[in-house]
Amino acid sequence: MSDQKTLWNRLSAEDRPILFAALFVVLILAIGTAYTLTTQGTATLLSPTYLLQQLQVGAFLGLVAAGMMLVILLGHIDLSVPWTVAASAMMATTVGGPAAIPVGLSVGLLVGLINGFGVAYLRIPSMIFTLGVNAVVRGLMVAHTGGFAPQTAATPLMQYLAVGKIGGVPVALIVWAVVSVCIVLLLNRTSIGRYLFAIGNKEAAAFLAGVPTRRIIILAFCLCGMLSGLAGTLLAGYSTKAYQGMGDAYLLPAIAAVVIGGTHILGGRGRYLGTLLGVILIVLLNSVLSIMQMPEAGRQVIYGSVIIVMLLVYGRTEKVTQ
Amino acid sequence: MTLQGVTKRYGGVTALDNVDFACRLGSIHAVLGENGAGKSTLIKIMSGVVSPDEGIITLAGQQRIFQGPAQANAAGVVCIFQELSLIPDLSVADNICISNPPRRFGLIDKGEQIRRAEQLLARIHCEDVNPRSRVRDLPLSRRQMVEIAKALSRDPSVLILDEATSALTSADVDHVLSMLRKLRDEGIAILTISHRMHEIEAVADMCSVFRNGLHIETFAQGDRAARDIVQMMIGREISAHFPQKRTFTPGATALQVQNYHWENRLRDINLTVGKGEIVGLGGLDGQGQKELLLGLFGVLKKTRGTVRINGQAVRITSPQRAIRAGIDMALIPEDRKTEGLLLPMSISDNLALASLQNLSKGIFIDRQALSSAIEGGIARMQIKTGSIEDPVSTLSGGNQQKVVLAKWLMTDPKVVLLNDPTRGIDVGTKQEIYRLLRQLAEEDVSILIYSTDYEELIGCCDRVAVMYDGNIVRELQGEDITEHNIIASSLNIDEAVA
Repeated sequence: MSDQKTLWNRLSAEDRPILFAALFVVLILAIGTAYTLTTQGTATLLSPTYLLQQLQVGAFLGLVAAGMMLVILLGHIDLSVPWTVAASAMMATTVGGPAAIPVGLSVGLLVGLINGFGVAYLRIPSMIFTLGVNAVVRGLMVAHTGGFAPQTAATPLMQYLAVGKIGGVPVALIVWAVVSVCIVLLLNRTSIGRYLFAIGNKEAAAFLAGVPTRRIIILAFCLCGMLSGLAGTLLAGYSTKAYQGMGDAYLLPAIAAVVIGGTHILGGRGRYLGTLLGVILIVLLNSVLSIMQMPEAGRQVIYGSVIIVMLLVYGRTEKVTQ
Repeated sequence: MTLQGVTKRYGGVTALDNVDFACRLGSIHAVLGENGAGKSTLIKIMSGVVSPDEGIITLAGQQRIFQGPAQANAAGVVCIFQELSLIPDLSVADNICISNPPRRFGLIDKGEQIRRAEQLLARIHCEDVNPRSRVRDLPLSRRQMVEIAKALSRDPSVLILDEATSALTSADVDHVLSMLRKLRDEGIAILTISHRMHEIEAVADMCSVFRNGLHIETFAQGDRAARDIVQMMIGREISAHFPQKRTFTPGATALQVQNYHWENRLRDINLTVGKGEIVGLGGLDGQGQKELLLGLFGVLKKTRGTVRINGQAVRITSPQRAIRAGIDMALIPEDRKTEGLLLPMSISDNLALASLQNLSKGIFIDRQALSSAIEGGIARMQIKTGSIEDPVSTLSGGNQQKVVLAKWLMTDPKVVLLNDPTRGIDVGTKQEIYRLLRQLAEEDVSILIYSTDYEELIGCCDRVAVMYDGNIVRELQGEDITEHNIIASSLNIDEAVA
């Protein structure tokens, strides 16, 4: 016990949440397996098919969370994700053909650019500005579709990226992996990554050190928007069409995944590995709860409680007074 | 009110050392001293903002320990602080009555509140302030008057003014001074800190001089000449060891500032710094020295005037520009904890921050170049570190400041601006910083340094520009750089003293 305690203390503030999230993932799998063993006599949860399927579903959330993490590292937040996802999906399916995916990404990029401009140059708090942008995009999309479910369909390439498989591995998972590698390189190997952490820690100090703070903020929002756009485009491929509110289920889980993974909600601290684990944790938790046939109400309660408990363990802000 | 044997330490620094001090009802008592002499700490202790480590405070014969400003206020000790304590978005009347608003049926009585505010404002001849207007909309001098009215609303028996007149117009100062006399005649004890000698001469009954946390002497106003007072404020030998100044032959001008203005805080500044020259900015705190450094580094918006680097006129609109090749500036900011460092981040991240641009190949950081640059920075400043991946917050204050300096040295600057770089730093590190500055100067780097420590200016600088009220009032050179001259110019008193 005492050994464990010293191990816990030896871990840095970034590593603790990651270890904790990893343990929790194992715990969820253990509880789920125990449940299926007693009720069905099989360990479905541990089969590669099931796990790959979960990761495929998780890829969409993972893309959104990756972008969200960049913004949260800055100490900001992007609440325009739901309708960035939906708008990208709708515009991509509307245009169709080979231009579908570039259009989807561009829509996300454009929304991100607007968000970044509002936050970096107009100095409007991101929480308010992105919320407003979300509402505007939503209005534009309702106008675009006339309020009905869009009748357009996803292109074959979009469907392939979302549900296709290469050697048994879902393509969506590969897309997520490629994006993850890029993000890890960005965060750890480029000056942009260092600047993100620096700004999130103390924007004034970063500014005085000659960091181009505004450009970095805009860039982070652009990447977040573009990744949301990518997620939306793939999601449209997954369900073969775009629909109203398809992004609604991604905002809270994305923020939760980032924060559960140990990224400080006020910015400046975090590891991408944590965000990955956070996404997996949330996807598995959802899945296990539905296997256990937990009613929707109970799922929501457990889901919210888990997030709060995780944050109680390591996500608390420092006291105002010593 | 009397203080006996009061001592207050901040970390290793003793701000007040076994101070006995008394101020009597019905008198105006002025407290004098250099920056860091312990005046502010004295006031903070008397008004309950901080509690002393040792010593006894007696008020009207009773021993008191204040647990906070509210308790001190309730006991009749009211302080008007240098930094305004008004809430900008509330009305004047709301602010004046904030701690004890008049109530009717348990709710705040707005009408009574406004009447009360009007009365108090009238008492200090401030009828032109409308109690209904928002504090934010008032000019600084009016706000200061509201602050005074607010203090009066608490019905003080001991009133403390911490440079309360520094933001006022001369007409207002006259009103405030006459009000102080009136309050004294009503039997209130008044304690005032001011750097304006003529005001002290005009109203004070008693003067006390503080130096280095010690209470030097108390005497009746008029018993001592201005010259003696200045001597008392200095009262020590230059003790720290500074590296030998080189006999400076004015070389090419590296930095030239002409007719530099910013809002009303900097006025018509003309200054040059030669290659390899160390120029100090002197004067009392808050006379525009910090603003000048920030302005030169591109932090302030809407500065006017010409800045030349090596004879080329440049427009520096952001720190990003200031660090560019061709300008090559560096700024060691005032507060290393909030402006100089990213405390939770690692030592290496902090060191690298300003020079990442130069250490990247394409978009990726050249890790080899980075680590050798970091090693170089640590070696040059002899920073004592465990692992360079430890958070910079684990270092001592002196080593933290060395990290800030090393961070900028890694960018190879040609003009280094320093804003009070040795504040709160141990003596050993201070000496290392002095040596470093001299060494840089010998490498033809131009240095502009602001320091609140006069000794430092005297020991380090080839030239000292003393600022007063946003203006350079005097430039001292060579043998003329003495504490006497700096203090005299800082207070803007006549040459006769010097």
